[in-house]
Amino acid sequence: MIFVAILLGCIVGAILGINAPIISYTYSSFLAIAVIAALDSVFGGITSVLNGKFDLKIFISGFFCNAILSILLTYLGQKLNVDIYLAAIVVFVGRMFTNLTIIRRYYIDKWSEKVKQRNIKSQNEE
Amino acid sequence: MKKEKRVMAISIGISCFALALVMSMQFKVVRETDITSIQSMRESELRSELSQWKSKYDEIDEKYQEVSGKISEYQSKKESDNENSSLLEKEQEQINLALGKDDVQGEGIVITLNNVDDVEPKINAEDLLVIVNQLKNAGAEAISINDERIINMSDVVNINLEEGEFFVKVNGQRKLAPYIIKAIGNQAYLEGAILGNGGRADDLQTIGHEVSIQKDRKVEITKYNGEITTKYIQ
Repeated sequence: MIFVAILLGCIVGAILGINAPIISYTYSSFLAIAVIAALDSVFGGITSVLNGKFDLKIFISGFFCNAILSILLTYLGQKLNVDIYLAAIVVFVGRMFTNLTIIRRYYIDKWSEKVKQRNIKSQNEE
Repeated sequence: MKKEKRVMAISIGISCFALALVMSMQFKVVRETDITSIQSMRESELRSELSQWKSKYDEIDEKYQEVSGKISEYQSKKESDNENSSLLEKEQEQINLALGKDDVQGEGIVITLNNVDDVEPKINAEDLLVIVNQLKNAGAEAISINDERIINMSDVVNINLEEGEFFVKVNGQRKLAPYIIKAIGNQAYLEGAILGNGGRADDLQTIGHEVSIQKDRKVEITKYNGEITTKYIQ
């Protein structure tokens, strides 16, 4: 059911986005930073699922709040003539890498454990 | 449990929807606008560029106005100069005519005076002066004696009237008889002035000198050959 929801949401969103009117290039940096923030939230969510600490409320609120906050920060940076969005990107992408590392380790651990168990099983059978 | 799952699915679907929407929009924007430098410029940059060009345009336009104003000024000046110069030319022509610095021609008379040997007194400068004066009185516009133009400063004097070699000096040039006086003006008036009662030509004729008067439709009088210089007029 969750996978269906994910697929449906992605497809509908992509179709709508492609057909949507073009946004001025001036504001595209806001969208970009929002995308990065949302992706960070997604990877964070996956990590928490793997850790068994997933909370829907935290995920949803983080997803939207991070996007909106990063947009606001970028706007503020433009007003102050400081590229704050660079800092936001550094933080988000850094966290994304951390989360990806956690995910990778989790699956590698799982896989290697499986291999180990199979080895033990085959040894026991002998 | 089932309700919780549904809520979860819906909320994750919504977030996926939002993410996909924003991402695809962004892809599209980047794909569409990353073509030329102008399109990728920020609005503020474009604005500043535009204002720069505008100020440049204003500056150049101002210069252009200035220059075109100057040009029209020169044009009008030139026109007036042309007018002035043509006027001046006309004036100069008239002055030259009046001063006797141009060859002139017109209807008039030619008087030839010649001494007869044994008739005294001989024709002298005084006679010529009187005749010239009478011609002037009759409205002569140009007079010459033996091709010496009579102008305002012309001198007509006797040299050696009493002794041997007598001659008349006109404009500083030595002139001998016969004296040919040319005058441009109304032929009848001119003739009447010198031949009528009290006319000096008549007097000379009476004394016995040779006097002949020719009327001509086209009397040609040469210009004054000397230079009109002034030394003391300030």
